[in-house]
Amino acid sequence: MLKVSKGADKYALKTENLTKTIGNLLVVDNLNLEIRRREVFGFLGPNGAGKTTSIKMMVGLLRPTSGRVLFDGAKSGSAVKRRIGVCPQDLAMWDALTCRENLTFMGDMYGIPPPLLEARVNKLLDLLSLTERADQTAAKLSGGMKRRLNIALAVVHDPEIVFLDEPSAGLDPQSRLLLWEFIRFLRDEEDKTIVLTTHAMEEADALSDRIAIIDHGTLLRLDTPEGLKQTLGKGDVVELQLVDPRMNEKVLALMKSLREIEEVYQLKGKIAVRALGATSKLPMIIRRIERAGGRVSDISVRRNSLEDVFVSLTGRALKE
Amino acid sequence: MNMKFVKITSKGMRETFRDRRGFFFLLVFPVFFIAVFSFAFGSGTFQSGGSLPHDIAVVNYDVGTTVISNNTTRLVNYGQSFTQVLENATLENSSTKLFLLHNVSEEQANELLRSRSIDALIVIPKNFSGAFTSMVNDSARTAITSEVGAQAIASGTVSQNQLSKNVTLPGASNVTSMLSVQGDASYVNFDTAQALVTTIFAQYKNDVTANAVANAASGGDYRPLAEYIPIEMQPIAGTLSFSPFDYMVPGLIIVAILMQVSLVSASLVRDIERGTLDRLRLSVARAFELLFGTFLSWTLVTIGQVPILIAVATGLGYQYSGGSLGSLGLAMVIGVIAGMASIALALLIASFAKSEMQALELGAIVTLPVAFLGGAFFPLPPQVIDFWGMTFSVYDVLPWTHAISALRSVLTYGTGLSADIVFQITWLIVLTAILFVVAVVCYSRVRLRPET
Repeated sequence: MLKVSKGADKYALKTENLTKTIGNLLVVDNLNLEIRRREVFGFLGPNGAGKTTSIKMMVGLLRPTSGRVLFDGAKSGSAVKRRIGVCPQDLAMWDALTCRENLTFMGDMYGIPPPLLEARVNKLLDLLSLTERADQTAAKLSGGMKRRLNIALAVVHDPEIVFLDEPSAGLDPQSRLLLWEFIRFLRDEEDKTIVLTTHAMEEADALSDRIAIIDHGTLLRLDTPEGLKQTLGKGDVVELQLVDPRMNEKVLALMKSLREIEEVYQLKGKIAVRALGATSKLPMIIRRIERAGGRVSDISVRRNSLEDVFVSLTGRALKE
Repeated sequence: MNMKFVKITSKGMRETFRDRRGFFFLLVFPVFFIAVFSFAFGSGTFQSGGSLPHDIAVVNYDVGTTVISNNTTRLVNYGQSFTQVLENATLENSSTKLFLLHNVSEEQANELLRSRSIDALIVIPKNFSGAFTSMVNDSARTAITSEVGAQAIASGTVSQNQLSKNVTLPGASNVTSMLSVQGDASYVNFDTAQALVTTIFAQYKNDVTANAVANAASGGDYRPLAEYIPIEMQPIAGTLSFSPFDYMVPGLIIVAILMQVSLVSASLVRDIERGTLDRLRLSVARAFELLFGTFLSWTLVTIGQVPILIAVATGLGYQYSGGSLGSLGLAMVIGVIAGMASIALALLIASFAKSEMQALELGAIVTLPVAFLGGAFFPLPPQVIDFWGMTFSVYDVLPWTHAISALRSVLTYGTGLSADIVFQITWLIVLTAILFVVAVVCYSRVRLRPET
């Protein structure tokens, strides 16, 4: 593995005023990020927020309209190619080659010496539970296995920084847990920096050391998961399901008028009400709704989540 | 040293041989293609009208005529004699017959013409012998009197003695007739057959006339002497029983190599669509290594293709005249350069195709016209243009034109490394290099640089 020179910047990667315009559309707007070494950096945003475009600029596949990307103080280019690994959102592998051939070929393209490469390939096949399928062509693998091979291809050359673009999309729960373990292994055992884009709040919450929330190409907030939840979400969240969902808008307006309520918004067809001591205020909330002509069919109380934070920041759910 | 291009070549070969569709298009389809052409255009295996002898029908209505010579009256039938000449006609110094005569009625012959079971129908009219005698006599009289005139001019006087006592002038008459050669004007075999019949008839006429003149001079009679009529044909070496299929095989081999255009461009675009090209762009492999490795893998495919296709064609009756291993090597060199031109064309298509399907379609759209214009199936009329005082044929700008021409010379005509082959290969290399540079620049700019 390529090690960082002593006294080097504590950030593995920095973006300075990174901007991308396609036609008249501003896709990424002055993105300034500092990603620390050996952290899992969550990159959170809805579809079209500019996550993939940002990553493509960071790894050198897309030319920025303005701004720059620095790896350990150096600009991206051929010199830093060995130091980065990219797992694209879509499966990118050679279907006619076996798992082992795919990995060996990719390692060859980074000029890894054969003995090291063979050991690395075997290790990755083992870590990602692909050893039994090592000699099977990629075309014959299941969707989950392909996802795992896709990730292995990104790290076969033992890079310092790994970009994982929605790596768990389409994975079954068992494979997802395996993936999470692997990401933690990369950070904790191999000292890698991980840039992780995901739709899954639970995944970002569980894996990320810090999370950047991005929407419309703009960085909205950057903090630890706990920090984000604490600064944005005070109190508990009460979720109310109305018998008649057509009443949602009326109830939303009513709740917004109450001083006791910190925040109210619609989430997945339910009314989410955030308030300090939300449980004790429940009778009052239900009474007000019934007076307004509404009827509550289901009630649940939970703690603040990253999704609440996200909706609070962007005004919409993550997958909208 | 990590030879990345070798790894890319190895990867490409594995992908090619594991891809059934690719294998089909590279080997099975060309073999099928050659078999179809073998059947359609005649070869040793599938005899059709293309090769000798030509199937013809002769319907002889000639009733003959009487000639008087040395106070003897003889019945002569020139129609029968000419039919015999056609039947016996062979290639010079060969026992290969020019015609296979079908003994059928005119009505049956017309049916056979329409189904192209015969190449031509020769109808000899009723008064053919009368007309022929008249024509021969007239020619003999002219020849004899011309001889007398020439002697008079040489001696400066004209006397009774100058006309030999033994000379008998044939009687003059004025009978006309018409020998009819019928057939399908759109059928290439009819063109060949009617040209042969016309030539043989002209020779027959000349020889009968010469015989008549000689006999008149010696006081004897004259007879149609079929056995005296030589049929001379000068075949190009190795093409004694040449068929259109033999002419086409080198072109078909280039067509098979041209089919790589679709496959290579589709494979390159597939790499783009599936994101594997991005993986390679992110690696430390250089653009040169990526492209050279790809070139090398397809070049190896071509090296395998050429001898297999020659062997298959030969198995189907192609008369391979290449002979030595050196010629086969030369053919492979030509094939490999033509293959490189095809890969360059594929790179160019892959630079702009939006999808794998579009690359396949574009490849197919380009390949067939290029094959036709390059003369893969038949020679096209030259379209000459003047450029800076020099003349060029339009098709010569295509590298494959030179490849087809050179391959045809080597494989079909058995030419070695002649000056013409060197000229064709030089042009092939120059044009391929130009196409290669243009393709590599386009592909590198469009596909390998960071997107904008």
